[in-house]
Amino acid sequence: MTELTSRRLALRDRILGLMEASEAADEPTVRALARDVLRYQAAANPAYGRLVRARGADPETLNDWWDFPPIPVRGFREGGPGPGRSPLIGDPAQAEAVFLTSGTTGGPEARGVHRVRDLSLYHASLLAWARHGLHPSGGSVRLLALLPPPEQRPESSLSHMAGVLMAAWDDGAGGFFMDGQWMLALEAFEDALLGAQRDGIPVLLLTTAFALVHWLDHRGARAQPTLPAGSRVMETGGFKGRVREVPRDELYARTSGALGIPRQAIVNEYGMTEMLSQFYEPVLMEGDPGGLEARRLVAPPWVRTRILDPLDLTPVPADTPGLLAHLDLANLDSAAYLLTEDLGMAVPAPAGSPFPGDGFRLLGRNPGSTPRGCSLSLEAWLEARGGG
Amino acid sequence: MMRRHADPSLVPEAPERLQALGVQRRLELLSMVGDRFLSLSDPLRQEAEVRIPEEARLPLSAIRPLLDRVAQGWTRGSLETLLAQDFPDPAMLDRFCPGPSGRLERVIPPRLLVQYASGNVPGTGATALIRGLLVGAPTLLKPGSGDRVLPELLVRGLHETAPGLAGTCALLPWRGGQGGEEERACLKAADMVVVYGGEEAAQAVRERLSPLTPLRVYGPRISGGIVLRGGLADDDQVLEHAADAIVAYEQRGCVSPQVIWVEEGGRQSPREWAEALGRALEVRQAAGSVDGSVDRRMMYEVALFDAAHDPARAVFGGPEQGWMVLFEPRATQLAPTCLGRTVRVHGFEQTSEIIDAIRPMAPYLQTMALEGEGPDRLALADRLACAGVTRITRFREQPWPPAWWKEDGEGPLRTLVRWAVVEGD
Repeated sequence: MTELTSRRLALRDRILGLMEASEAADEPTVRALARDVLRYQAAANPAYGRLVRARGADPETLNDWWDFPPIPVRGFREGGPGPGRSPLIGDPAQAEAVFLTSGTTGGPEARGVHRVRDLSLYHASLLAWARHGLHPSGGSVRLLALLPPPEQRPESSLSHMAGVLMAAWDDGAGGFFMDGQWMLALEAFEDALLGAQRDGIPVLLLTTAFALVHWLDHRGARAQPTLPAGSRVMETGGFKGRVREVPRDELYARTSGALGIPRQAIVNEYGMTEMLSQFYEPVLMEGDPGGLEARRLVAPPWVRTRILDPLDLTPVPADTPGLLAHLDLANLDSAAYLLTEDLGMAVPAPAGSPFPGDGFRLLGRNPGSTPRGCSLSLEAWLEARGGG
Repeated sequence: MMRRHADPSLVPEAPERLQALGVQRRLELLSMVGDRFLSLSDPLRQEAEVRIPEEARLPLSAIRPLLDRVAQGWTRGSLETLLAQDFPDPAMLDRFCPGPSGRLERVIPPRLLVQYASGNVPGTGATALIRGLLVGAPTLLKPGSGDRVLPELLVRGLHETAPGLAGTCALLPWRGGQGGEEERACLKAADMVVVYGGEEAAQAVRERLSPLTPLRVYGPRISGGIVLRGGLADDDQVLEHAADAIVAYEQRGCVSPQVIWVEEGGRQSPREWAEALGRALEVRQAAGSVDGSVDRRMMYEVALFDAAHDPARAVFGGPEQGWMVLFEPRATQLAPTCLGRTVRVHGFEQTSEIIDAIRPMAPYLQTMALEGEGPDRLALADRLACAGVTRITRFREQPWPPAWWKEDGEGPLRTLVRWAVVEGD
């Protein structure tokens, strides 16, 4: 066994231990583990090591994880130099899963690729934190997913995630209600809602905001099901502003009306293909006393978020928007410290919250940027290249 | 049949008033106002220097040369050249004259020209207005959201200095597509419409327009530069001019060089040239404000990450310096940069590498600065033109196309008018 392999295994054990005892994580433990993970990544991924040293730092002497440079999520795209730019530590051929971002423009080379070497870390992170965010009271639940099943979309990390939750929690009668082409099986889904009502089993609906809008737009005048108490919705992927011109409060009101569930039973999830852990709004545990504007996303103890000034990557003051940079220890085998292209703002935890520390609110991408004048924009350029 | 004018600020007889003045008198009046923007003591020029830096978010040091260059396009000499280039005999704008074939030809301006400018590059809207009036078209201009001051000052100047043109042009107060019934009425009355802007803006206008009304769209463009070995031989002038071209519009302009190719085997390697370009940018006065910083940060971080994978790549400068030169030994595509003083530099050995990279962008290509001399330069110019480039120039002139340039490949006045011919005489 090489020195790097044994380092990795030791780190993996420490991370899994943290995930298993998530409530008990203390700050010094997380900081030390984060530092060790980034030192390991700088040693095991030569390009990352060069990136650290290019900033004049020696990875083995950096003491805090935030002193390491984050890897931009665009670095997961394969269009750059070398076929293996996407940051994987290990043999790409041995990856247990390959997830692709859902970019619709710019062609296949513009899509991000996350090769997952070790699904057990991903699943441990996912299940430990989703329990808090989506299934805090335990008990019987039926999972209905407005997503394609993972075997039809193996590159979709969202379908994979739904498959893992389904295997862990579903009462056996749930399922996926989209095909591999992301076409909604409307009648089957409506039947499944009525079936849950008949059986008295609470529903956990897993959906993208886009699919939710599509379902609401196409269900016509069908009767509203009365879902059993405890039913809830996890929606994702749409609230960097608006979804197809449907404001968030309107979508939640329509969803609440169509399913007969309270608004505080609708949970926004924020995740990304490049990152194996997820964020949830803790409304199932805390309620929604301040309304949508006051909601915040919270991270598991093995994830840390910094909000940075895009100009110099220093932390912004409270109440100031900045770029979100996430440390995710579940990304042991790729890039644990990521710089996203999302803007967010810190939101403090309310008194008595079981999730102390700041959460954040997502503000979207680069609002208020100056009009470009008459030169071609990057976005238009990507479209012009006719990707699909 | 007289059309009813949609905008009350245009007098109903505006077409006849412009026609009665004749092209030479219109030229004279317009150039009198244009000259005022060249005079540093003129109140119009002084107000422009106060208000435009804030509006365009460019420093005064960038606005002064920009105003000079834009207004030089409005002088008598420039407007005469523009007319001469687009019409065999400018008198055709007044009456039938013999054309090149010997037949009598006449140029008819629109009775109502509606122009939509966009963006924040000062000069686009005002120049569009001058072109319309020069051909004799009563003109309604919707200025760009970040380019309102210069058109406003130009209209004021016309009222003060050229009352003969009063009532023949006006600025539209609403944003494109948000003018409701008033905008609909304008477009219904227009017999020629020009849009400067992206696909969305053009589409929004097209949907409101009769299918038979001519529409000219000046869409977004991408420009670049090429330094042949000969362009590296003399001194650093080429490099200084390249830096000036980058700084002129902070890369917002369609003429701004987003990508520069440097030939291998010259006095400096492409990488050395890129580094030297960084030094030239470093010494230039910083922009008044930093825009689009998320894009710039992302471009920087990805470039650093790429350089960590491929040591042949390099990044000079950074978001905190206010400028960036991203060096990559070879380019397979022509890609824009972010806003601000960011430029990509690539090396090349064969000119076919450049042609292959730019050809897929043909519908968007515009200006290419081409530094070098002699037959090599001309031969490459020919290939660039065939690949879609419409203007081949030098860095020194790149930000400042002359008034008579074939904007996006077409005479800017010819595109506004229709022709009539008398046969059988």
